[in-house]
Formats: sequence, C-alpha cells, structure tokens
Amino acid sequence: MVGADTVGAGAAGTAAVRVRGLWKRFGQQVAVAGIDLELPAGRFIGLVGPNGAGKTTTLSMVTGLLRPDQGTVEVVGHDVWRDPVEVKARIGVLPEGLRLFERLSGRELLAYSGRLRGMPGAEVDKRATQLLDVLDLAGAQHKLVVDYSTGMRKKIGLAAALLHNPEVLFLDEPFEGVDPVSAQTIRGVLERYTASGATVVFSSHVMELVESLCDWVAVMAAGRIRAHGPLAEVRGEAPSLQRAFLELVGADGRDAGLDLDWLGGGAR
Amino acid sequence: MSAPAITPVVVRLKLSLLRNGLRQSGGRRAAYIASAVIALLFAALQLVGLIALRGFDHAESLVVLLVAVLGLGWAVMPLFFPGGDETLDPTRLVMLPLRPRPLVRALLVASLVGIGPLFTLCLLVGSVIAVAHGGAAFAAGVLAVPLALLVCVALARAVAAANVRLLTSRRGRDLAVLSGLVIAVGAQLVNFGAQRLGSSGLEQLGPAADVVRWIPPASAVGAVHSAGEGAYGAAVVQLLLSAAALAGLLVLWARSLTRLMTAPDGSTLQTSRAAARDRTSTGLARLLPPGRTGTVMERSLRYVWRDPKTKAAWVTSLAIGLIVPVFNAWQGTGSVYLACFAAGMLGMQMYNQFGQDTSAFWMVAMTVSSPRDAYVELRARALALLLITLPYATLVTVLTAALLGDWPLLPEALGLSFALLGAMLATGAWTSARFPYSIPQEGYKNVAPGQVGLAWVSIVGGMVAAAVLCAPVIALTVWLNAGADGDAGRWLLLPVGTLYGAALTLLGLRLAAPRTARRLPEILAAVSKG
Repeated sequence: MVGADTVGAGAAGTAAVRVRGLWKRFGQQVAVAGIDLELPAGRFIGLVGPNGAGKTTTLSMVTGLLRPDQGTVEVVGHDVWRDPVEVKARIGVLPEGLRLFERLSGRELLAYSGRLRGMPGAEVDKRATQLLDVLDLAGAQHKLVVDYSTGMRKKIGLAAALLHNPEVLFLDEPFEGVDPVSAQTIRGVLERYTASGATVVFSSHVMELVESLCDWVAVMAAGRIRAHGPLAEVRGEAPSLQRAFLELVGADGRDAGLDLDWLGGGAR
Repeated sequence: MSAPAITPVVVRLKLSLLRNGLRQSGGRRAAYIASAVIALLFAALQLVGLIALRGFDHAESLVVLLVAVLGLGWAVMPLFFPGGDETLDPTRLVMLPLRPRPLVRALLVASLVGIGPLFTLCLLVGSVIAVAHGGAAFAAGVLAVPLALLVCVALARAVAAANVRLLTSRRGRDLAVLSGLVIAVGAQLVNFGAQRLGSSGLEQLGPAADVVRWIPPASAVGAVHSAGEGAYGAAVVQLLLSAAALAGLLVLWARSLTRLMTAPDGSTLQTSRAAARDRTSTGLARLLPPGRTGTVMERSLRYVWRDPKTKAAWVTSLAIGLIVPVFNAWQGTGSVYLACFAAGMLGMQMYNQFGQDTSAFWMVAMTVSSPRDAYVELRARALALLLITLPYATLVTVLTAALLGDWPLLPEALGLSFALLGAMLATGAWTSARFPYSIPQEGYKNVAPGQVGLAWVSIVGGMVAAAVLCAPVIALTVWLNAGADGDAGRWLLLPVGTLYGAALTLLGLRLAAPRTARRLPEILAAVSKG
C-alpha cells in the first residue's frame, strides 16, 4: 500500500529526507559541520565515509534520536522535531551501538515493538512469523536476544525496523560484524523492500558493499558531505567507488607499504 | 626430563599479578590498600576479641560457629566474585604442559597468598587461643590452624573449578550480579540474629554448635577444645574429619581441573538446548489490558524476572521491605507503622525507569511522539509495579499487624502505606524524566561513572519529596490519634490514604509525561553511558 504511493512520489522526484544546515558539536569536537542534503525517495541510498566521519551522528539526528545544535530535518515532508507523530510512524530504524531489549526472546521483541507502535496483535504475530522465517531466525525465535550472535542481532533489529512497513528505513552499519550468509539474507530482504518503492538509507565504510547495493550515494568525511548523487555520477571516471572515494577525501596516492621493502620475499 | 618445581613459579606469578594490578591505577591501589588495612584491622580486632573470649562459658560454641561461617564464606565467594583471581583461572593454563597433581599443589600454595587467607589465619589463631586449655589443646591447635586454613582455601578452589563452566556463561554472570543482594539481605539477617542473641543469651547457640563442631573446617577448632577437655579420642576424630575433607576436596578439585583442561571451553560450546518452552503467550499476557499499556506492563514484568540488575533491585527491595517490619514485630519491638517500609522500598523501583532500559530506551523513544504516548508508557510501568507492590505491601502490613496482635492499627497503617506508595510512584515518574542516569550492565555498580551526583539528587531528593507529599496524611493520622474520641474516625485513613496516593500518582504521571516526551534524546543520551 505504501509502496505504490512511494513509487509515484519517487518518480516525481520528491525527497525522502531533506536536511538543511545540520550541525552537531560534542564539546570541542565538531561531529557534523553543516550538512545540506536531499535524499530521493524510492532509492537504495548509501551513506559512506571512514570511521569518525559523522555518519552515526547524522543518522541519529535524522531519526530523532539525537538533538541537533542547528538545522532542520524533514522526512517525507514532515519536520522530525516539530511533527514527530507523522515521522515516527513512517520510519524504521536500526541504530548502531544501542542495545535492544535483550532479555526478551526474538519473537517477544517483535511482538513488543509492533504492539508499542499500536499495531493489532494478530497482524504483528503474522508479520513476525514471516519475518523470522525469511530472516532465518525461526529456529532461535524463543532464545533470548542476549544470547544471539552479532549477525542474529542485526537481523532481529532489522525485523523490528521493518515490522510496521515504514516508508523510509534507516540502517546504521547493518552489515558490520555480520557473517556472509546473514549478510546475503539481509541483502535479499532489503532489495525486495526497495523494489516495492520504499527508501533505504544505510551507512557503511565498506565501499564494495555500497557499490554493489546502492543506486545513490552520499560521501561523508570529517562531518561534511563531500559528494552526493547517483552512483555513476559520484564514481565518475574512477574505476571503482573505492578509488573515487579516496580521491574525494584526499587519501589517494598514499600507497602504503613502500617503506616495508623487507616484508615478504626471499631474504629474511 | 625432570619437571622443575612449578610451585614457586605460580606463587611468583600471583605476586606479580598482584603488583601489576596495583600499578595500573592510583585509584585501584588506594582501594586495595584501604581494603587491606580494613581487613587487617578487622582481623586484629577479631583476634583480640577472640582472645578476650577465652574462659567464657559459651566461647567454644561461638568460635565453632564462627569458623563454620568462615568456611561457608569461602565456599560461596567464588560463586559471587568470579574472575577475582587470574592465577587460579585454570583455563589460562590450558596451553602449558602441566600435570594435575603438581598443578593442584602449586595453585593451592598460591591461593594462600593474599588478604583473605591472612584474615582467615588471624581468625583461626584467635579461635584456637580462645578455646585451647592445656598443652594437648595447643598441640592440637598447631595442627588445626593450617588444616582449617587449607580446607577453606581448597573449598573455594574446588567450588570455583567445579563452576567454571557456569561462571564463564551468561547465566553465571547474571548470578554474580545478584551477589550484592545476598550481602544486603545477609547483613539484615545477621543483624537480627545478633539482636536476638543479645537479648536471649549465648546458650541458644549450644545445639547448633553440637552439630557444627563435627563439620570441617569447624571440626579442627572443635578438636582443640576436645583435646583441652581430655577427650583425646574425639579430638583425633575431629582432626581426621578435617583432614579427610581436605583430601576429598583436593581430589574433587584435581578431577574438575583435569576435565576443564581437556574439554572444550564452555563459552565456545553451542547451546543446543534451544528447544525451549514456547513463551509466545503467557497466561499473564492475556489478562493484561490491550494496547500499549499491556505491552509495556508485560515487558516490565518480564524484566523483573529476567534482567539480573532489575531482579537484584527487586529482590533486595522485597526482602528488606519484609525483613525490617516483620522481624521487628517478631521481636515485639516494632510497630505496625513500620510496615510502610515495604511500600517505600518497593516504590523505589519506580525511580530511574528509563535507566533500567539502558540504551534500549531508543525503542521506546521511537514510539513516543506525544505527551499522551509518554503518559501511557509511564502509567503502564507504574501499573506493572503496582501489580506486585500492592498485594505485597498489604501482605507485609497484615503480617506485621498479626505478629504484633495490633489489629486496630491495620487500616491506618495500610492507608499510610498506600499514600507513601503513591508519593513514591509520583516522584519516581518525575525524576525518571528529569534525572535519568545509566545503570551499567556489567559488574556491581548501579550508577555509571560521572552520574553519581545525578543519582543521589534523584533518589534522595525524590524520597524527601515523597515524605513531604505524604505529610498531610501523616498529620491526619497524628490528629486522629490525638483526638479525644480515639478510635472513632481512624478507619477513615484507609480510604483517604488510598485515594490520596492514587491522586498523587496520577498527578506525578501527568507532570512527568510532557517532560519525557520533550526530552527523549536527552534521556537516551543519559541512559546510554556505560
């Protein structure tokens, strides 16, 4: 139901997320230094950048989990801070570095989070069963989340974020520490979800991953957006996103290992 | 190749670990030195006290029980303070080519180094001096002291080794968090036991001591006494009992060490018992109201049972809330009003609600978009709390009244309890929104570093405020009791107190809700530390 609307909106070029003049300082350190960004709806969007670039801070502010010092954020046309009712019902979030209610079992966690959003119990249970099946968690559904592995935690977090069928999904490092099998499962679910017209915004510092998944990217470094646009545009002439990224952040040509000429080879 | 003696190596390892641990930080050194000084001071006082006890009638009963308690302490210590001693963690020695027998010897000697063994030694020497009369007794004492000390240490090691699997698992760590509670409740029980002894004399210890003097390590000290009385046969049997216990413990320890060092580590084993019971819909869930209220209540109640920190706080509150009024009443010294203690202790659980969520609070924050949502969330948490607290406070009050036989006071004590509970819920809800702080999930601390002041302001300020809020009901109680016609209107305090408490709670929730809704990111930041 949401899908059809969003496809239309996406085609018309409306923004899923609109950020204006976003700033955040932690003491002396500037984490996010004035971001202006428009993320198109209906795309698979990658927010890339090295560790400490401000990706998590930005996503936290966009989703309403962290109050910005300055700037405005609109998600699907509603201000995150002035109109939380509209925004919170339309987004799903998988944050990085925050816990889940880990003393619930996987199934209980989904039941809790769906009912907390005011969904009818029967519908929550039906969707939870399907999500647990698709994400390969059915066997562990009655285990406490505290006993889950990293990959299982990411998957149950993703299930909780998808349960209410949000229009925009924000995922902070969804593939960090995830084994290849779980990563493939997550990927499949996300691809199916965007194919229906919904928007995924995810952050990562693994360029190959972003390049293979996303059709739109924003490159972040030192709290600023260095480039953004469709993948092909940002990559430009460079052979890979990795190269383009290194050029953008000015780390290109720093060929590590020239000095370590003794490493490997014949003589010890 | 003749194996070099590993005992000195392990002892030296223990000493270097101790030294390096102290070198890590000034605070740690200060803490260690302070605890050492206190332990030694305490040991010295015990020693002096025990020597002074010499010649008293029931000295032997007391000393034997003391040593038994000491032994018990050594047995449970490794369960609550796992990982306290790295040299004794056999899993770290797995890669070394060591035979169990020399290893056990080396570890046993190494575990004699430290404050604990020194403290135990002081106590045992004092015990022997307190009960030894005559040369034979002192001769037995020379054997008894090392024997008892070794039994204590071997007991701790054997228990620890047998439980390494438990202690390295999540369940074991959960258990460790509950240790604070054992200490808190144990201290209360000891306190009341001591009071009881003080009022009715030491002869009460007799029957217990008659049994305990045959149980190692107390039997070693019992032997000293027996030798002093000329019962040499008994003395020999008692010493042999201790020696046999030591031998048995060493065999057990060696066996679990061998198993530990040859079997895979418990933490890497996949738990195959995943076929757990189906917990989807418990009986309770169907009784709870629908919507957010029931969902939040269910989660809160599950956490009371499943989250070790929450559980520890609850069990402590429940235990102390019961012990203080009921034990006082049992001794005939209390008053029915003391039963308000239960309501007060349980009301404390409303404080720092969001801190109890840890950073998982984001899941709540994502679904709170209006003061109304926040109100329903807080109200549901208060309801979950009331579901346990209301019957419990009533039960404690009735029990106290029954023990004291003071039934006429019951209605007003109940009324006061409910008023206090309401005030605690109201202030708890408000401080949860205004002064949230993190509760670290690991270790024994209940406040994250840097937030101690915040926690104090929240708890102490809240409790003072709750007391002030209750003042009208207290004043009414005093006024009605002082009134000329006595009992006439006192039953009124039950409905008045209940209504007043309910009104306070509703008011507190109403005030806390908009603040919570407005400060979601700030609360999340405050509860995500540590």
